Amino acid sequence: MANVIVNRVAEFLRRFPPFSFLGKEDLTRVAQSVEIQYLEKGEIFFRQGEAARPHFFILKEGQIQLVENASDGDQIREICDEGDVFGVLALLGKRPYLLSSKVIENSLIYSVPVAVFEKILEENSRVALFFAAGFAAGQVVVRQDLSQGQKARGEFKNDSGDHSLLIFSDQSAVNFSEKVLTCPPDTSIQAAALQMAEAQVSSIVICDEKSFPAGILTDKDLRSRVLAAGISPEKPVSEVMTSPVITRKKQDGFSNLYLTMIRHRLHHLVLTEDGSDQSPIGGIISDHDVFLSMGNSPAVLIHGLMNTLEIAEMRKIRDRAGQMLEYYLENEVSMEFVASIMTEINDVIIRQALKIVTNQLETDYPNMSSIRFCFLSMGSEGREEQLLRTDLDNAILYEDVPEDLREKTSEYFLKLGEGVVEILLACGFDLCPGKIMASNPEWVQPLSTWKDYFTEWILHPSPESLLKVSIFFDFRSVAGSKSLATELSDHIYQEIGKKQVFLNFLALNAMKNPPPLGFFKDFVVEKSGENQDQFDIKLRAMLPLTDLARLLVLSHQVVGINNTFRRFEKLAELEPNNAELFSQAGKAYEILMRMRALEGLQNKNSGRYINPKSLGKLQRQLLKNAFVPISELQDIVNIRFQLDYFRR
Amino acid sequence: MSWWEFWKPKKERLDFVRDFLAGNETPIPGIRSISQLKFTVLDTETTGLDPAKDSILSFGAVKVESMKIQVPTAVEWYPKSGIIPGKAAQIHGLIDIIDQISEEEFVKLLLPYLGDSVLVGHHIGFDLEMIGKIVRPFGIAQMPNPVIDTLNFAVRLEHGPQADLSRIPMGAYSLDELCIRFGIELEDRHTAAGDAFLTAQLFLKLLRLAEKKGIRTYKELLR
Repeated sequence: MANVIVNRVAEFLRRFPPFSFLGKEDLTRVAQSVEIQYLEKGEIFFRQGEAARPHFFILKEGQIQLVENASDGDQIREICDEGDVFGVLALLGKRPYLLSSKVIENSLIYSVPVAVFEKILEENSRVALFFAAGFAAGQVVVRQDLSQGQKARGEFKNDSGDHSLLIFSDQSAVNFSEKVLTCPPDTSIQAAALQMAEAQVSSIVICDEKSFPAGILTDKDLRSRVLAAGISPEKPVSEVMTSPVITRKKQDGFSNLYLTMIRHRLHHLVLTEDGSDQSPIGGIISDHDVFLSMGNSPAVLIHGLMNTLEIAEMRKIRDRAGQMLEYYLENEVSMEFVASIMTEINDVIIRQALKIVTNQLETDYPNMSSIRFCFLSMGSEGREEQLLRTDLDNAILYEDVPEDLREKTSEYFLKLGEGVVEILLACGFDLCPGKIMASNPEWVQPLSTWKDYFTEWILHPSPESLLKVSIFFDFRSVAGSKSLATELSDHIYQEIGKKQVFLNFLALNAMKNPPPLGFFKDFVVEKSGENQDQFDIKLRAMLPLTDLARLLVLSHQVVGINNTFRRFEKLAELEPNNAELFSQAGKAYEILMRMRALEGLQNKNSGRYINPKSLGKLQRQLLKNAFVPISELQDIVNIRFQLDYFRR
Repeated sequence: MSWWEFWKPKKERLDFVRDFLAGNETPIPGIRSISQLKFTVLDTETTGLDPAKDSILSFGAVKVESMKIQVPTAVEWYPKSGIIPGKAAQIHGLIDIIDQISEEEFVKLLLPYLGDSVLVGHHIGFDLEMIGKIVRPFGIAQMPNPVIDTLNFAVRLEHGPQADLSRIPMGAYSLDELCIRFGIELEDRHTAAGDAFLTAQLFLKLLRLAEKKGIRTYKELLR
């Protein structure tokens, strides 16, 4: 049902191509999905090199310049006025912005989700052709006139199929230096080293009189071939340089250059005019340059996070981490590696957030920073398994303080928790629906209160406290004083030691969700609600495995392993006769994690519900196989904890 | 079947009221940044200007989240009222609306839609009084949501928080005048959704102005 607001938006869009080609229904569909934002003069809307957003944009009013940031200053490439469509390269999918957009006059911008338009693109060949023509002509702005008529759709398709090298944020944007430090072959080693020191570079290229590269000398060579070998620094560089040098030409393209460096284990690659060492030198590319251009590598992201206390910047980096995750998952990178990288990134965000808030609170609470505390992550984040930005589960634990400080301290840590949670929200995480967060006074407590909590849960395992166990028992210290967390763990094992029957309750709880295959070996799907006919991968497959792993690890009194598949690994070690089953369970868990994360990334949600019908045959089989260990493990637990007897 | 089972359907019916009130129990932390807040910009068209006698003919609203107007959330509802539409209704051309819904249906849609968002409107006090009349029979004495009146907000931004309202020409703060001053095209005036959309655009621009004056958090916004 279209209403006045949607009609208003539609009427504006209808005046401009490509929207003018749309039928009433499609137009309403597009108008209904629009988001409107307002930017003021001087702001930058998106930046060159930034990952494309899932929207493209139509300028409703105002003026925007598309600017290329070049080494010799900014160059205006296009000016957008009312009705111009820009940011369309995002339509091709997963390419970063080639230009920055600068707001010249206060602007009202309509954003249309690419997903909505992609469908229309498929169905409406006129619209597709319109875009294709623009792209083929290298246009960055879709103009209001239709002068560039009919070009092939082929090129368009080719482009959209290419995201093979997604890991490199922008292939063309490797910055290498064209000014290369050089010296003639008869220079003394010491003079060459002096040149390097003055220019603050790690290599020098030795060139003959025609500027052809004859050899290269690096920091490492100075160390291993000169100092370690005891060669006199008075000798000429030609005696210790690496020669001949491997050369390429700069037009070879980034991936080619990079592969050369990997294959030959080069830290520096010399570029010449024609690519051979019989032509003049034209530049040098170092692994540091490569490093910087690989915008989505974990090291760069973590480095970027550590160096910023700007929340908006942190959010951007976390968004890029999401892209990296997608690349890893699609390329079957080992789940253990992926999970630890994402955990590290999330942890760094939390630590930076703590830094920001601690600084903010410094003036109001001058003496509080000396009180020891520990920021705890719980649930999946605590188990180092949180790939997507799903719900936050966290808490704060601080040391017991004297009576007179108690009130002030609790106030301080609650403020600290609130601040951190707000920053995490701004970084794209979701609130915990159960309010298990460091902004909730119940979960910001001194050690003695935390001990009481756990004692209570262990002594009185009611259904509610067992539910809490599944979140709180996987706590992990992310920042602050780790010894507090250890003390709490010790306390928990002591209490369980005193009341072994607690484990039986825990076991009973782990059996609550039977293996997710029905009588006919088909998926058990949700029977009702908004996710009807979908499969709840979290509740039916992952939760039973995490519950079982936690139970068994607790029963072995293992401390410090939170991760579900690492818990299974450890169990395989502790119980050699069940090793095969445990390692299968660990693998199953990895498969489930991967599936859920991919599903979540594709649908921009938590990935929790999967429609079995949407899975390919292979994936269905994979998923079904992943369930087998669940029922076998449940059988073992049933016997070990004498649950048949216990249930009576 | 015993007599008290008559209560049952009624109680079920009121679940949505309970959910709504429960959702509004937790106050929004003062330090939450404005870009994280959820706003519902709303407007109503009524049979007249007397909350005691008149009633709502149409309700229009759209949400602002992450500082963006979320067109997908735009709604327009026409609650049926017992009162025969007077002249105002004729002006609005609302005589023969097909999609009319009962007041109960309206409240059932309204409460989950508003949720715990911050309510925004031009001269919103009047709209809230009208809405209050409809929700009162469902056990809501007063709408619990935080409220921002774009009229007061504009005055505060242009004259400072200590402005003496009696000395400010209020004519300059009508929705029409503000839209003209802020360069917003006047379209679809005197439809609830149309006015809500204009108010939402005005609100976006006011928020930017506020940001420049250092108003960045919920606490500073609601003052």
